[in-house]
Amino acid sequence: MKNQKLLPYLLVLPTMLYLVVFFAYPMVSALGLAVTGETRYLALLDQPDPTASEIGTLPMQTDVTVTDRLRAEETLPNGRTRPFYWFYVTGVDVNGDSITGWVSQQNLFVENRTESVMGRINNGTPVREWTMSHINTMFSDFRFQSAIFNTFLMIIIILPIQFLLAIVMALVLQARPRGNGIFLYIFAVPMGISDLAAGLVWYSIFTQQGFLNSFLVSAGILDRPFIFIALGNDGWILLAIVLAEVWRATAIVMVIVVSGLQAVPTDYIEAGQVFGASLWQRIRYIILPLLRPSLQVALILRTILAFQVFAVVVAISGGDVFTVLSNETFRWYDRGDGGYNNPNVASAYAGLIMIISLAISFFYLRAVRTQEEVAKSS
Amino acid sequence: MTTRNRADLPPEQRRALRNASIRRGGVYALAITLSLWILIPIWLIATMAFSTPSNVRSFPKPAFPSPISTDTMTFFINAEGILRSTGNSIVVALLTFAMSTLIATPASYAIARFIFRGRDAVRLGILSVRAFPIVILAVPLAVTFINFGMYDSIFSVALLHTALVLPTSVLVIASVFASVPFELEEAAQVFGCTPFQAFWRVVIPLTLPGIAAAGLFAFVTSWNEVFGAMLLTLTNRTLPAQILFSLDKASDPFKFAGGFFMLIPSLIFIFFIRRYLFSMWGQVTK
Repeated sequence: MKNQKLLPYLLVLPTMLYLVVFFAYPMVSALGLAVTGETRYLALLDQPDPTASEIGTLPMQTDVTVTDRLRAEETLPNGRTRPFYWFYVTGVDVNGDSITGWVSQQNLFVENRTESVMGRINNGTPVREWTMSHINTMFSDFRFQSAIFNTFLMIIIILPIQFLLAIVMALVLQARPRGNGIFLYIFAVPMGISDLAAGLVWYSIFTQQGFLNSFLVSAGILDRPFIFIALGNDGWILLAIVLAEVWRATAIVMVIVVSGLQAVPTDYIEAGQVFGASLWQRIRYIILPLLRPSLQVALILRTILAFQVFAVVVAISGGDVFTVLSNETFRWYDRGDGGYNNPNVASAYAGLIMIISLAISFFYLRAVRTQEEVAKSS
Repeated sequence: MTTRNRADLPPEQRRALRNASIRRGGVYALAITLSLWILIPIWLIATMAFSTPSNVRSFPKPAFPSPISTDTMTFFINAEGILRSTGNSIVVALLTFAMSTLIATPASYAIARFIFRGRDAVRLGILSVRAFPIVILAVPLAVTFINFGMYDSIFSVALLHTALVLPTSVLVIASVFASVPFELEEAAQVFGCTPFQAFWRVVIPLTLPGIAAAGLFAFVTSWNEVFGAMLLTLTNRTLPAQILFSLDKASDPFKFAGGFFMLIPSLIFIFFIRRYLFSMWGQVTK
C-alpha cells in the first residue's frame, strides 16, 4: 500500500523532469538572456606593476587621457629584452567619477607609445550584469513598430473571422447532414497543415503569375497581372496572410467548439424550440452562452498561437516587406546572411511575445469572470 | 401518400415543413461552400504540383493539370538537400512520436487513475505549458544546445519537439485512459493479474488506438514545425527548415511542389485520427 502512494508521483516524474529541463529552464534563461549582458571591465592599478592593488575599474572602450608613462623592460623567452610601457591614465567610470591609475600597454590602445596623450581601454575581464540595452535595442529597432502594428492588426482581423467561421462549421456538423463524416474530415484537414505549406498554397494564389491573377485576367477584369505582393502593398499582403491563417487555423477552433457543443444538453435547445425561439435566438441566447468556456479556451489558444505566425509571413511576403514579431525574433537570432546573430535581442523579442501572450490570456480570463460575477450579482 | 398528407395539412404546418426542408438545404449549401473553401486551395496547389514545369511557369495558370506530369514533383524531390532533409524530418518526427508517447503515457495514467496530492497542480502545470509559444522556447534552447555542443543535431530538434507536444500528449492520453472503466482493471486483478498485467493486458489493448492517435498528432506537429528547427540547425535541416531556407532563391515549381509535398501527411493522418480529435480537444476545455 505504501507503494501505491508513491506510484502516481513516480509515473508523473518523467514528464515533470522533462518539462523542467526542456521547458522551465530555457524559459528562465530566455528572460535572463534578454536582461543581462557581458561587459568587460579593466582594473586600474596604483603602481606600474601587475601585482599592484586596484584603484577602480573602467569599462572596455572608455577613452582616457594619458598623463604619465613609464618605460620598463620585459624579457622574452629567448632571453632578449624589449621595451614595455605602463601608462598613467585618467578616465570616467560607470558612476561618473573620474579615476586615475596605471594601465599596461596590453590593455590600452594608443597611437604612439611615447607621445600620445589620448588612449582607449581595449581589454578587461567579462562581468555578467543586468542591462536594459537589449530591450532598448529592440524598442529602437526600425522594424519594431511595424512588427508590433502588423502583428496586432493581423490578430484583430483574423480572430473574429475565425470564430465566426468555426461556429458556423460546428453548427453545420451539429445539424448532422448526410456525409457528416466526410465534412468533418474536410473541415479538420487544415489542423495537420503546417504554416509553411499554407503560406506556399496562398502564395500560389497571390503571386504575380498566380491563380488570382490568372482568374482576373482570364475573366477580363484586369488587362495584365496586378502585383499584389510588393513593397507598399501592405494591405494586399495582410489580406493574403489573413486568408492563409483563417484557412489553416480555423480547424482547431472548430474542433474545440464542436466538443463544447456536444456538452450542451439538447433539452435546452429543444425547450427553446418549443417556446418558439428562432434559429438565431437559439444560437444567441442558448448555445453561445453555454459555449462560453469552450470559446474562452479557444480564444486564449488561438491568440497565443497567432503570435507565432511566422512561416506564413515568410512564404507569402519573404519576410522583409512585411514583418511580424516572431519574424523579428528569428531575424535577430539568425546566424545566416540575413540575420543579426544576436541571441540577447532575440530573447528580448521572445520575452515580449510571452508577456503579451500572458497579459492577453489574463485579460480574457478576467473579462469572462467579471461578466459571470455581474450576472450573479444582478 | 406523403404528398397527399402534406397537401391536407393546415397551412402553418405546411409552412413549418417547408421551412425545415429549406433549412436542410441551407445546411447542405453551407457545408459544401465551407468544404470548397478548404478544398479549392488544396486542389490548386495539387494542380501545380502535377503540371509540367513549363505549365507551372505559364500565365494564365490552368485550373486543371494538362497534361498530368510528375516532372515538377521529381524536380523538387531531386533538388539539393530535399531527400536528406526529408529523411531528417522523418527521423525527428519518429523520435518525437516515440519519446512523447513513452514519457506521456505513465503520467497520463497517473492523472486518469490516481487521486493524489498535487494532482490538480500537475494538471494545471502541464496545461499552462501549452500557453507558451515555441518562439520563446527555441531561442534559449538553441543557446543551451550550443553550450552543450548539441547544436545542429536533429536529436536536439526532436528534444524541442517533444517538449512542444508533451503537454498535449499527456492530456489526450489521460482522456483516453479515463474512458476505460476502472472496473475492468479491478476484474482482471480479481482473476489473478498483477496491477501491471492488468494494465498491460487489459487497458493497453483498449487504449492503443487512442494512444496511437496522440502519437500521430505528435508526428504531424513535428513534421510541420519550422521555427525551432530553423533555429536549432544549420546544415542538418529538417524538410520545412530546408524549404524555408531556400525560399528566397527558389523557383515557383520548387515552391508549389514543396507546398504540396508538405501537405500529404496531414491529408493522410487527419483521416486516421479524425474520430479522436474531439476527445483530444474536448479534454482541454474541462
